[in-house]
Amino acid sequence: MSSPNDIQGQYRGTRGELFPLAIGVALLTLVTFGIYRFWGKTRIRKYIWSSTVGDGDAFEYTGTGLEKFLGFLVAIVALAIYLGIVQMLLFFAGLNYSFDPDTPQGMLALTGILYLNIFALVPLVFYAMYRARRYKMARTRWRGVRFGMEKGAWGFSARSIGYGLLTVLTLGALFPLANFKLEKYMADRSYFGDARFEQNGKWTALYGAAKHLFIGLAVLVGGVAIGGASQSESLMGIAGAVGYIWLMVGFVYYRVHAFRYMAANRTLGGEITFTATPTTGEVIKIYIIGTLVMGAVIAVFAAIGGALFAAMMSMAPMGNIGLVGVFAVVLYVIVLVLLGAMALVFITQPTIAHFITTFTVHNADALNDIRQRASETGVDAEGFADALDIGGAI
Amino acid sequence: MLEADGSFFDGSSAAKHKVTLRLDEARGILTFDGEALEQPEEWPLPELRLLRDQPEGGWLTFALHIEGEDETMHHEARLSCRDGAMNAALRHAAPNLTRRDIHKGTGLRVLTKISIAVVAILAMIFVILPAMATSLAYIMPREREVQFGRAVINQMHWFLAGDFETDLTCTNEAGLAALAKMQSRLTEGPDMEYDLDIKVLDHEMVNAFAAPGGQIVIVRGLLDKATSADAVAGVLAHEIGHVENRDATIGALRSAGSAGLLSMVLGDFSGGTLAVIVAEHLISTSYTREAEIRADDFALDALHEADVSSEGLATFFDYILEQEGEGPAVPAYLNTHPPSKARAGKSRAHAATQPDTSSVLSEAEWADLKSICD
Ligand SMILES: [Zn+2]
Repeated sequence: MSSPNDIQGQYRGTRGELFPLAIGVALLTLVTFGIYRFWGKTRIRKYIWSSTVGDGDAFEYTGTGLEKFLGFLVAIVALAIYLGIVQMLLFFAGLNYSFDPDTPQGMLALTGILYLNIFALVPLVFYAMYRARRYKMARTRWRGVRFGMEKGAWGFSARSIGYGLLTVLTLGALFPLANFKLEKYMADRSYFGDARFEQNGKWTALYGAAKHLFIGLAVLVGGVAIGGASQSESLMGIAGAVGYIWLMVGFVYYRVHAFRYMAANRTLGGEITFTATPTTGEVIKIYIIGTLVMGAVIAVFAAIGGALFAAMMSMAPMGNIGLVGVFAVVLYVIVLVLLGAMALVFITQPTIAHFITTFTVHNADALNDIRQRASETGVDAEGFADALDIGGAI
Repeated sequence: MLEADGSFFDGSSAAKHKVTLRLDEARGILTFDGEALEQPEEWPLPELRLLRDQPEGGWLTFALHIEGEDETMHHEARLSCRDGAMNAALRHAAPNLTRRDIHKGTGLRVLTKISIAVVAILAMIFVILPAMATSLAYIMPREREVQFGRAVINQMHWFLAGDFETDLTCTNEAGLAALAKMQSRLTEGPDMEYDLDIKVLDHEMVNAFAAPGGQIVIVRGLLDKATSADAVAGVLAHEIGHVENRDATIGALRSAGSAGLLSMVLGDFSGGTLAVIVAEHLISTSYTREAEIRADDFALDALHEADVSSEGLATFFDYILEQEGEGPAVPAYLNTHPPSKARAGKSRAHAATQPDTSSVLSEAEWADLKSICD
């Protein structure tokens, strides 16, 4: 399988380096009332990107905290204007529906109508997701050459809403179609230098990856329904638990196997191909170990905190309640900062490392012919994603 | 001269060049040469930069500083080396290896953008949204406004009663007759756009409010504390002013617009929810201040035409002012109608200009009104 013309992904990041970085970033974010988070996220990305290595050459993340901050400002103003106007108009439209204000049902209907407001943000959420991915691509380089992505955020937003509705209407049965088409939309607009990525394959092939999702759902719904019909609480409980766990594992299985399929059917510049072999078991193992470690650390802190708390309460006269409150807040903040950093170090980083180290690029000689692409200036970074708080850990 | 192997990417293609690095400290340059290079590259050490936040203990990637459009302020070419001795020597010899380069004029650019953002958001909150809310309030169909007002009143009613069943509406016939008389005296003069629907709710709270669509609620506590029928008439005339100015509808529309905006702007920072509540309160106070003044003016006009002295309203303001600063027992009326010496003074000054006045209700009617909930 492996030939000299292949490049196997490697990951060089370590817990010992990422953990202090994550803690430092979290503390700075805290004392700057959140302003530092743009710079913080940039630093974490720089570390993870430069830990990602192919053929000895590290990736590079060239985004800056400042452009993220400025992009956030632009987005927040645009969103504020949009939200202010649209939500007022929706509220006005909602009030123009007829309802009976003298019954609780009528009031509930009014509340429901007014909550339709949140749908004002849906197109923007998908728009922001595409923009964020495009920004990350534009700010990623390997072997000195930029990745990039064409414009197309509104097209993505429209398709996301369409496929999303289709998925909802078919009760999730067409979920693989939506997933495949949206991934293909993004992949086909992606570049490394002047070479374009192309997503091939068929959406129906993703049903294989999704099988455990459907089985888990069937166990959950079927078991609970049968248990409910035969009035057996134990059957309902067992079916609920088994179905839920099956569903959770099914999600990981789907993510892993969909990734494999999409990678195997993707090409770069028409001649470079990929193989990805992450495994469900490894990802679940990372989650379990990570959760256990985090749980243990939190338990230790809770024990120490509880003991100190009890000691302070017994010694402190009533006037010192304020001091105890401050102590509790400090402890809470420490735990919050620790949890964030540990999730990054024990779950996010190992998962990324697993996906990278099981990733192979074939026909790597063809990389030598790829030319640089022009730099992207005047981007609003991923301000919309930051303003809407989507995008996750990194 | 220290030598080591490395990889070089020229920034114009993804082709990888194997090179040999030589550190020439005497000339202050790092030179490297390889088969594929036409001539040896020379990088001045002061311009050499190490990319930030790389993992230690392996390859390190370097770049060359340039002034330009590139977001990194580096030349597109990259050089990487995993020779420990060379990397250590470079850290020592290159003076600006970890310097953070910033484009010229960045500070001004950032300040400008922040100012524009602040101005845009303030304009939105204080100019555009209120103007929009006012326009929308005037095109809203009357029956929808009344329907919305009913919903608001019901919510207040449920809040005071504590459940959905209890009806707090006061129905004493003599009291209602007195209330109707007060209403007709106050509305004889001005041109009224709305049909009023005034009721008294049986609760100890000292409060009165105008809901959208001409609906006014007086809470019994206000009748208990008022020193005269004229004081109640003054408060009622003020609330009628709110009705005629559509203040409740405008306020609801305005806050529907600004709520989402504020949580967008402030929600992202620590303690965001609290900040949103405080900000919304500050904005609505600043906005209601104008509305209060206009409602006061309406009340004084209405009292004038009805030949009811505005001294009663002034004494009511005095009473509310006295209660201020007495802690949690402050009447609820205070929250929605910030009283001031200025407002009391204005009412008193107006009273001095009224030639002949008569009390809005007779002593007997006033007693009936006070017992409307019995
Ligand atoms: Zn008022």
